[in-house]
Amino acid sequence: MERKLITGNQAAALAARDSGVEVVAAYPITPSTPVVEEIARMVESGEMDARLILVESEHSAMAACIGASASGSRVFTATSSHGLAYMHELLHYAANARTPVVMAVANRAIGPGWNIWADLGDTMSQRDTGWIQFYCSSNQEIYDTVVMAYRVAEDRQVLLPAMVCYDGFVLSHTAMPVVTGIGEFLEEYRAPWKVDFDEPETFGNILSSDYYMELRKDVFESHRKAIRIIKKTEEAFESLTGRYSPLLLEKYMLDDAETAIVAIGAIASESKIAVRKLRRDGKKVGLLRIKCFRPFPSTDVVEALESVDTAVVIDRSISPGHEGQLFSEIKSALYSSRNRPEIIGKVAGLGGRDVTFRAIEKAVCGEFRDGWINEVVV
Amino acid sequence: MVEGVRWEIRFHGRGGQGAVTASLLLAEAAFRCGYYSQSIPFFGAERRGAPVLAFTRISEEEILERSQIYSPDCVIVLDPVLPGTVNIFSGLKNGGIAVINTTDAPEKFRFHQNVLTICTVDAVDIAIRNHLVVSGTPVVNIPLLGAFLRIFSRIPPEITEDVIRERFRRNWKANVRAMWEGYENAVIRKVKGSGKTMSQESKCSIAVRVPVSKPVKGVAGRTSIWRDFVPEIDYSRCTGCLNCWLHCPESAVLRDGREVRIDYDFCKGCLVCSSVCPKTAISVAREVMG
Ligand code: SF4
Ligand code: SF4
Repeated sequence: MERKLITGNQAAALAARDSGVEVVAAYPITPSTPVVEEIARMVESGEMDARLILVESEHSAMAACIGASASGSRVFTATSSHGLAYMHELLHYAANARTPVVMAVANRAIGPGWNIWADLGDTMSQRDTGWIQFYCSSNQEIYDTVVMAYRVAEDRQVLLPAMVCYDGFVLSHTAMPVVTGIGEFLEEYRAPWKVDFDEPETFGNILSSDYYMELRKDVFESHRKAIRIIKKTEEAFESLTGRYSPLLLEKYMLDDAETAIVAIGAIASESKIAVRKLRRDGKKVGLLRIKCFRPFPSTDVVEALESVDTAVVIDRSISPGHEGQLFSEIKSALYSSRNRPEIIGKVAGLGGRDVTFRAIEKAVCGEFRDGWINEVVV
Repeated sequence: MVEGVRWEIRFHGRGGQGAVTASLLLAEAAFRCGYYSQSIPFFGAERRGAPVLAFTRISEEEILERSQIYSPDCVIVLDPVLPGTVNIFSGLKNGGIAVINTTDAPEKFRFHQNVLTICTVDAVDIAIRNHLVVSGTPVVNIPLLGAFLRIFSRIPPEITEDVIRERFRRNWKANVRAMWEGYENAVIRKVKGSGKTMSQESKCSIAVRVPVSKPVKGVAGRTSIWRDFVPEIDYSRCTGCLNCWLHCPESAVLRDGREVRIDYDFCKGCLVCSSVCPKTAISVAREVMG
């Protein structure tokens, strides 16, 4: 174990190295570029024993990742924004082909209105591809989550690709203390089936309407099963490394709370300060942080929010024509609950607009009535 | 809840001067002294010469903030012309510290706080004497860091020296020298300000419907302060072909029929116009800031 001051991108790269990743295929894009640069440096210096394939586009990057994973390797890549959008077709492929690729995504807005800054819209719009999605709120978490993502993704009951998402610049370029080292946490990846030149098989075959529905249903069920695997992985990680790193969700001062802030990503960390300040003013506020967005931990969300009166959900992305995606999911999870709280949706921080704990405090206290936290409250 | 002691430092610079690196080095030095620390670069337009911000938090307990710093305990100003163009004192706590790269005396600065500790150092001179110049820009970050350490006694300069040595493997000697020169040449004074609270700076409240490229005040700001070089049209050679008007990425070449004119509020000094002019009618001069 080593403790150092590193950026979120460095944390992702070091985690890939420490996870024993064998193949990396990538096409760099801001703000995830330094992940690939750091891996290139480590491969060059011999610190990382992996094959780095530089391709001509993100579409090809994911195609190469799928190929490498299908031949039994542990595979990693990183991207952002337009690069992720360009991968879209292959994201579906990776999920349906059951290749447990792990990908770091430094979240960034999509243009035009050219904007390289933080916005979760890029990964939120890949919600239904079949990928597992984790959203981090510190650099330590980026490191730990990449490592744990392999254990979840490669589990025989899961076998799905996973995205480890983190706010561009806000985490990707900010340096924070990170403890590295994973001990014996990961075993070698043993693919249940793989490309074998001595025994050729067809991968990604045609599947008629007689079968396709079962294939999607299996993807769906595997996501369900993943919830339990995610909880087990979180526990195993803590007992082997001594670090508790929430993988499904995190509750902060929620036990006796009357109002819950529900947040995701970096804003959830900032929200903790808002919780503390509001508590100091005598307000019973807590935080529910959604770490895993797919599979969505509905049962645990209900359990966490049933006892509060009000939940204020903060999204750093928006589904035009409807509302923030997290807001939708929280409402849908609580629909069947008899004791569902009042649920209020707010949108904040699009395109990197800074979100301060003061703005969050104001939002909890009923300001920003139109749902848009568009002011940088200093 | 017990809150530990913390310091928040904001760096002001322009691309190429090393603000981001300085923020990181300071965070690293603090980290080695046992503090929690955080270094946040803020990249605006990614271009040399554009104003850059960076932030360092140093704390006795875990740092949960992910936002930028608006009420710093200290500002470190890398660019000698910035005080005229951006409000470097904005939000700085009363009684706080400003470390400024300047040839002026501390007393020359005007601010709204009651009192500040102003620390000045001619970092350009130190950078030039130590040959810390990259593509024509003196890299002033290290001498300023040295000046800051003179006031901020929590971090021994020797620790920072180690950090510099590791960071600049090839050029560490000149950088370590520059740090100590900054440390020793810092002029530190308590200076009184006007004590008048300033009106809040205007927030971005423009309506954006279509992202068009014509610069609007408040979107990319006045890009004129990015300029290191300024294009000038020689009208005796200009034929009015409009090539410059067509190519300017900021739409800063204005036209009236076939007559062209440069809008210097928004010209960012990229010199595309000069390179596409078939008559070489657009000459290039060094920008003089005032
Ligand atoms: S240098 Fe020329 S092309 Fe560039 S912004 Fe100025 S006027 Fe436009
Ligand atoms: S490109 Fe040159 S000649 Fe043509 S309009 Fe511009 S300045 Fe005149």
